Amino acid sequence: MGRVVSTSNQKAAAEAMASALSSMDGVDAEVSERKSGTSPRNIVSIDCSSENWRALAECMRVEHDVDYCSMVTGIHWPEGSPDKNWEVVYHFMRMGVTDPPVIDGMVQPIVKDPTTLEGKEVPLEIEVRIALPETRDPKVASVQDIWVGADWNEKETWDLVGIDFEGHVGMRRVLQPHETPVGFHPLQKQHKLRYHDFEEMYDDVQGFLRKPSDAGKIK
Amino acid sequence: MAEMWISMGPQHPMTHGLWTLKVKVDGETVVDTEPDLGYIHRGVEKICEARDFTQITTYCDRLCYASANTWSHSYIYAVEDLLEVEVPERAEYIRLIAVELQRIASHLMWLGAYGPDIGNLSVMVWCLREREMMMDLLQELGGSRMHYNFPRVGGVKRDLPHGFAQRARAKVSLFLNRIQEYEALFDESTIFLIRTQGVGYSKPEEMVNHGVTGPNLRAGGVNYDIRTAHPYSVYSELDWEPPVERPSIKGADCYDRYRIRVEEMRVSALMVLEALDKIPRGADTYHEPGDPAILAKAPSRAPEGTSGSHHFEDSRGESMFYLAGGGEGRGKMPYRASIRSPMFITIPYASKCMVGYKVADIPAIMGSFDPCIGETDR
Repeated sequence: MGRVVSTSNQKAAAEAMASALSSMDGVDAEVSERKSGTSPRNIVSIDCSSENWRALAECMRVEHDVDYCSMVTGIHWPEGSPDKNWEVVYHFMRMGVTDPPVIDGMVQPIVKDPTTLEGKEVPLEIEVRIALPETRDPKVASVQDIWVGADWNEKETWDLVGIDFEGHVGMRRVLQPHETPVGFHPLQKQHKLRYHDFEEMYDDVQGFLRKPSDAGKIK
Repeated sequence: MAEMWISMGPQHPMTHGLWTLKVKVDGETVVDTEPDLGYIHRGVEKICEARDFTQITTYCDRLCYASANTWSHSYIYAVEDLLEVEVPERAEYIRLIAVELQRIASHLMWLGAYGPDIGNLSVMVWCLREREMMMDLLQELGGSRMHYNFPRVGGVKRDLPHGFAQRARAKVSLFLNRIQEYEALFDESTIFLIRTQGVGYSKPEEMVNHGVTGPNLRAGGVNYDIRTAHPYSVYSELDWEPPVERPSIKGADCYDRYRIRVEEMRVSALMVLEALDKIPRGADTYHEPGDPAILAKAPSRAPEGTSGSHHFEDSRGESMFYLAGGGEGRGKMPYRASIRSPMFITIPYASKCMVGYKVADIPAIMGSFDPCIGETDR
């Protein structure tokens, strides 16, 4: 049998973190039980207000050893309720990785037995959702200085979705051309696929304005 | 001497794809770097918003041509989380075999490309020869050579074909012997050792903070692996351990990152052999496509307000999909599909690793992180 992290330990660690974080202002944390195939997964699922996000991030990093920022997702909900027109979803993991010790001039690799991990060493998945109200310039606080891994994720989220990150140093286009017009963020919902609204970005030198015969029928 | 910026790319042997590395040099020494990505940005995330959950799999295959299967599986696990599907155990075993074969093929492609990067041309032909064996096996499963479109929501497209187990055992055992040939070819090549040892140091804590995972992290002497930390599929049923490398005091160098991938190929090969032995109902039974033993029924719609995500150990690190339900057609399509690409995060880190080394070390350092631009630019 393979040596994997035990589900009961993971669940206990997730519940400990969720109950500790729930006491913070504007933070609503719970353990969400999901399944991967047939094996259970326990995710710390957090709803946070944008004002409290920075405090929550610092608390997670310092007190709960969340050392890894996996992904930042921005979502545009134009038809959503007025207090959730935009959403930023952060995915974190607690890895419990430390630099291996040096003994007698040799590095000793850290080979942890995953079945016996306890307390703050248990790997965890954390999902943080931040809802933003209806606004023309959505923004949340940047966590680039806490997890460097969030740096390019935030750049991408701004580039594609148009959610700005306050305090982010060196924001720029990463996936789109550098000369993309200011305010053009293709994953916002007013931009449709296939020929529609191409004139927003390009002149029609290449014939983009010619619409196909099925325009409007197919997305 | 005056410092100046040079542009390496978009067409440069070092880049393994289309992107630009701007390098600030002081004489021969690298002082600063700035990667510039997005040359082949195809907007896969936007396309996914206008496709059914079943149609998206083909786009995920095309995220990375060297490692198509791991990407489509990464997506499938997220969809199954979103639609709450339970997968038959036999299908999970078949998936594991497909993914691990793909991991070997991907690492072989990397090894084959890394050799020529640093002056070991003959290894390219050797690696591609073995990669061909893996691709033949995957072709038997998926039907095509590179983009298999193999997993389905709730299972897999096809069962193991007749005689697959026998051929797979023969090829994988042969491959296990041939790994030793590569080791001899690399470890006894003075040029390879000079160019990779003592270059491009990286430390585990720093890597995790920068978002670098997978083989690059394990090369630093840490046994973190998503397959054991957040077990999915049937990795918990097999007897295996993620390989760990003993780095030098300054951290993992390019040589350690080469070693860890060779070890990973060995572990993956053994895992395939074990899975063929342990698969429920035996590897020689065949079920027609759509049989409940390999494909569970799955809903096609995800209501608004639901979301699904899954961390997945890709050949290059942690890949992940986040899907929000409630898109077009009353939830037939995802409202938003977001892709976490390991290389998109690793390339900026690898660029930072080069600072302080010579210009000639850039291909060795960049290549050792296994860049793949298809998934980076999405």
